[in-house]
Amino acid sequence: MSDNTPTERDNKYYTASQWQLIWWRFLRHRPAMTGGIVLLMMAFWGLFADFMTPYSGTNRDRDYVLGPPQIPQFWDHNGFSVRPFLHGVKTERDPETLRKIAVPDPETRRYVEFFVRGESYSFLGLFESDRHLFGVSEGKIHLFGTDDLGRDLYSRTAFATATSMSIGVIGVVLSFVLALIIGGIAGYWGGYIDYGIQRLTEIVRVIPVIPLFMGLTAAFPQNWTNIQVYLAMTLVLGLIGWPTLARRVRSHLLTQRNEDYVLAAELSGASPRRVIGRHLLPSFTSYIIVDLVITFPYVILSETALSFIGLGLRPPSISWGLLLQGAQNVRSIEQAPWMFIPAIFVVIAVLAFTVLGDGLRDAADPYQVSN
Amino acid sequence: MRKPQTQTRPSDTEMEPLVEIEDLRVSFRTDEGLITPVDGVSFSVPRGKTLGIVGESGSGKSVSTKALMKLLPQTAIIDPGSRMRFTRKAGGVVDIARLGAGTREMRDIRGGDIAMIFQEPMASFSPVWTIGNQMIEAIRLHRAVGKAKAREIAIDMLERVGISNPDMRVDQYPHEMSGGMRQRCMIALALSTNPSLLIADEPTTALDVTIQAQILDLMNDIQSELDMSIIFITHDMGVIAHVADEVAVMYLGRIVERGPTAEVIHNPKHPYTKGLLAALPDLDHIDRRLVPVGGDIPGPMNRPAGCAFHPRCDQFTSGLCDAAIPHYTDTGDGREVSCFLVGQDEGAR
Amino acid sequence: MISFVLQRLAGLIVTMFFVSVMVFVIMELPPGDYAERYAFRKLAATGTQVTEADIDTLRVRFGLDEPAPVRYVNWISGIVLRGDFGQSFAFETSVNKLIGDRIWLTLALLFATLFLTYLISIPIGIYAAVRRQSVADYSLTIFSYLGLALPNFLLALVLLYLSVKIFDSSIGGLFSPAYIDAPWCLAKLGDLLQHLFVPAIVLAWSATAFQLQTVRATMLDELNKLSVTAARARGLPEWKLILKYPARLAINPVVSSIGFDGNRVFSELPIVAVVLALPEMGELLLKSFIDLDTNVAGALLLLLTLFIVVMNFVSDILLALLDPRIKLEGG
Repeated sequence: MSDNTPTERDNKYYTASQWQLIWWRFLRHRPAMTGGIVLLMMAFWGLFADFMTPYSGTNRDRDYVLGPPQIPQFWDHNGFSVRPFLHGVKTERDPETLRKIAVPDPETRRYVEFFVRGESYSFLGLFESDRHLFGVSEGKIHLFGTDDLGRDLYSRTAFATATSMSIGVIGVVLSFVLALIIGGIAGYWGGYIDYGIQRLTEIVRVIPVIPLFMGLTAAFPQNWTNIQVYLAMTLVLGLIGWPTLARRVRSHLLTQRNEDYVLAAELSGASPRRVIGRHLLPSFTSYIIVDLVITFPYVILSETALSFIGLGLRPPSISWGLLLQGAQNVRSIEQAPWMFIPAIFVVIAVLAFTVLGDGLRDAADPYQVSN
Repeated sequence: MRKPQTQTRPSDTEMEPLVEIEDLRVSFRTDEGLITPVDGVSFSVPRGKTLGIVGESGSGKSVSTKALMKLLPQTAIIDPGSRMRFTRKAGGVVDIARLGAGTREMRDIRGGDIAMIFQEPMASFSPVWTIGNQMIEAIRLHRAVGKAKAREIAIDMLERVGISNPDMRVDQYPHEMSGGMRQRCMIALALSTNPSLLIADEPTTALDVTIQAQILDLMNDIQSELDMSIIFITHDMGVIAHVADEVAVMYLGRIVERGPTAEVIHNPKHPYTKGLLAALPDLDHIDRRLVPVGGDIPGPMNRPAGCAFHPRCDQFTSGLCDAAIPHYTDTGDGREVSCFLVGQDEGAR
Repeated sequence: MISFVLQRLAGLIVTMFFVSVMVFVIMELPPGDYAERYAFRKLAATGTQVTEADIDTLRVRFGLDEPAPVRYVNWISGIVLRGDFGQSFAFETSVNKLIGDRIWLTLALLFATLFLTYLISIPIGIYAAVRRQSVADYSLTIFSYLGLALPNFLLALVLLYLSVKIFDSSIGGLFSPAYIDAPWCLAKLGDLLQHLFVPAIVLAWSATAFQLQTVRATMLDELNKLSVTAARARGLPEWKLILKYPARLAINPVVSSIGFDGNRVFSELPIVAVVLALPEMGELLLKSFIDLDTNVAGALLLLLTLFIVVMNFVSDILLALLDPRIKLEGG
């Protein structure tokens, strides 16, 4: 306590900008950091899904229909191998049901290889390639098993991650823009405009969310292409967040606009646009970012739920909800529990977003000296 | 308005004081480590007298009194060497430092022997219960009376603090009253249990000046009526002059000067006390420039070594003030000052 | 107080008017109209050739040749004046008949869910806030994260799977097979309550997680209030103090979000209903959307929203009773 003269660290702390402070506090928030890293990894995996996966989402392996996950191993009764391998697959009849089933053949080995050539794809639409991160020498590898059509669940989960997360991003951005415009107008001008907008948000908020979206998505014409359905879905989901976000923007603006610094700006002749953009918005950008992060899980879960019950995206699109359709009843889960693997991704993604949002909220709170 | 307080009374020391605090040290556990906002504070309050504690925010004045009420958060540690001797209403002396915060005896002392009023009259009442409900609750906790009798006491108390129409007011909610009225109600609540000590934590800071004067007068009147001691916490030297018999000036967790109010105000010894008084506006010399105390209060994490005030002191002696904490020097007029400028010889350690 | 209630009642009616307009617009959204789908369904199934003239005849019969505002007035006046929601073409019966019992089952499910939610979240949320940073508090945080992250329909699947694996019995449906067509009696009611339990847990799952967080956060806020310190300073025992002051106020945000919880439950109903095979309104709603049976869908959407609006109304009044500060602005 005696020689506590301000050190260099202190000086750095006192002169840091708002964003630097938030960043430092965020770095110290371990769960949030973990959440952020997990999300970045998922996004990376989804974005480069073509390369990360051995097969395309529609490729069918007729020799391995509804097959359990294959886990690469280094060791079996024939000895040890430096290179991970899988056992081959042979077809047998189930003694009870007499159905054809695929069983591993312990006598054959299929070695896992990296950077193999496979189906060609257009890499991010930029150039053609046929390299995949991994594959097997012969036959096929199914890390998460296959579905009832023999499609590789690992590859499909990767593509679904890309779809579902991108819908989340676009949906959130859309609702953010809507919220900013609507909430901004209501909050800045107040009066009758505010009253009208408030009533409108109230009405949108009382109708149960998912049934409302069901009504909207049910109206998509059957002959729409996948892209059209995808875009319409993002639009519909964009509607999910705006009432809540708009309320937040409005109440932030209403409290801030009575602050003296706004009056000072107005007295010095700043236009409304300048007051909103230059003074009001920066005063709560950090809160808005937190709100956005918190909105993500809702959008993602809504997409999953809608696609799950058949009112969202349609095959051959691949999304988390569509993958989970394969696990819609007890019989299918009993038969092929691995169909539940995409659910783990949903839970992890939502969890990561929630933790990240909490951490950001703590970090963005300017009155919090430490946590 | 001003209390007669010109003559010093050495006889005070002969009387058994109601509260005697000795070497009180309170620390808080924080993420950055231990901070000690109260670092060796001693004072006593005689019966029927008012002690004023003055200091800027962060000086530890509120923490000291909260320690006396055992109202500190769980992260607080009261040093085992601290003594807080208090004479109960029923007789007998207890050391509050040794009492557990949740014990029966401590709860009896809280509200019963020591009552407290706070800075924010709005926030010190719960908004969802009526004034009467909260008063009756306090009365029935400490006095063996039934509901109807407690209500009578409450109405009577409200009348005594100058609330008009107390029969009606007793059933009102806090938000239905003005700030001044709420503070009167708070005083009524605090006094309805006949406490022997009232702790007033900046009770007038949030009020308008005119209301402020009314509340101070009310407290003075009631004190003489009930023969009650008061610890009055404020950052305002002007208020102190109005209410206190004795004053203790705190800076960064230590008392720097203590003595009879008139002496301290007319003849301050510690540079910090001088600074506080120089910063006070004076109606007789309205054209005088106010002199603020230079510099800022350091944060609790970087308390200066030696005399904590030395970085802001214009009479600071290098190698002395920043090296050791000055002892308390008795200047003879019932006053103690902790400064090397006063009795330097025996001060250095 | 009476004028406050009347004011909120008027607000309720205005909201429902706008909601009904919105529902009508949604009913009109799907491509093609009711007559076309009716003709396609009914006449094409019998093998007859459908001509434009046939469809036009149907349009006149259903009053679909009128402009949209007139059709809206016909639709809504049928509902408000005669309680008649129109015809379902997919089931070839009146919508009223179709909804029938489902309304009560849905409401039973809603109340069971809300009851369970508040029964768990309020006391535990208060406890966690008081014992902050204890084991109980941390496990609660983990639970509520899970509650937010694991969607209800996945939880339903997990529970179904477990019940089949462990108890070798299905937990789906709202009645045991023996009671499905039986008339109402005490035994049937008991059977229903038994079957309500699992769907109520599933539906209460995320609402509970959410409310736990709310109660805990409000409690933490309230515990730091000066009024609590003041009450402590007058010597009130700790538990009495917590119940009378902070806990009393921590209930307010829960009360004010009753309608929001209803919205959440109805949002999750259709999906959970599919997984658990519940014969209630959500399931019917989903069916009607897939079949584009717009009259049924519109009726259900309107009714579900009406429930929520009524819950909001009740929550407003409860809040005014709980919080004396509100009466002032209500008039």
